[in-house]
Amino acid sequence: MAVESEHVTADVIEAMEFPDLSQRYGVRGVPKIVINETTEFVGALPEAEYLAYVQKAVEGSQ
Amino acid sequence: MGQISDADRETIQNLFAESLTGDVEIVMFTERESLIIIPGKEPCEMCAQTQELLEEVASLSEKVTLTVHELSSAREQAFALGISRVPAFVFEGAARGRVRFFGIPAGYEFSALIGDLIDTSTGTTDLSAETRDFLSTLTEDINIKVFTTPT
Repeated sequence: MAVESEHVTADVIEAMEFPDLSQRYGVRGVPKIVINETTEFVGALPEAEYLAYVQKAVEGSQ
Repeated sequence: MGQISDADRETIQNLFAESLTGDVEIVMFTERESLIIIPGKEPCEMCAQTQELLEEVASLSEKVTLTVHELSSAREQAFALGISRVPAFVFEGAARGRVRFFGIPAGYEFSALIGDLIDTSTGTTDLSAETRDFLSTLTEDINIKVFTTPT
């Protein structure tokens, strides 16, 4: 998504190396995805479901 | 012995030869090992290993280059990219947005790195039409954090 849109920044974070971030975002399982600090889920999802979470995060911030 | 096995090296080299269309610069921020121990400051355990891994990746195609900055002497540039921790790196190429990696991209993350590097080179992805349509309607910035572990 970050390749396709100038509005998207994606951060890939190695959870073990940055325990403070893992703790702040409550990472207990990976991959854990946090969108706009508000919407989150754990696990690799099919693209359509992933998109639904991103849409939810965007709608939530408007 | 490098970070990437000989078999993987060959696979990636072939993949890069087939897939890379535009140049990609990997911009890395690191911290050199210090002989002075500063109380309360953790040394960067994975910086040297991450740099070695990225050097190996960059050696697999002439389209890929690596630039390494010391975080303490490139604060402005790091700040502009939203980087305040090390090791971290970004790809500069044909991507419209930005992907930042924090920590060593080993294990599962390594394949994400290779995939993202190729996408940054071509400026395209295999996302569905539905996802692309949604992305084209965006007017505000979105940040997506993906937490991973090496295993």
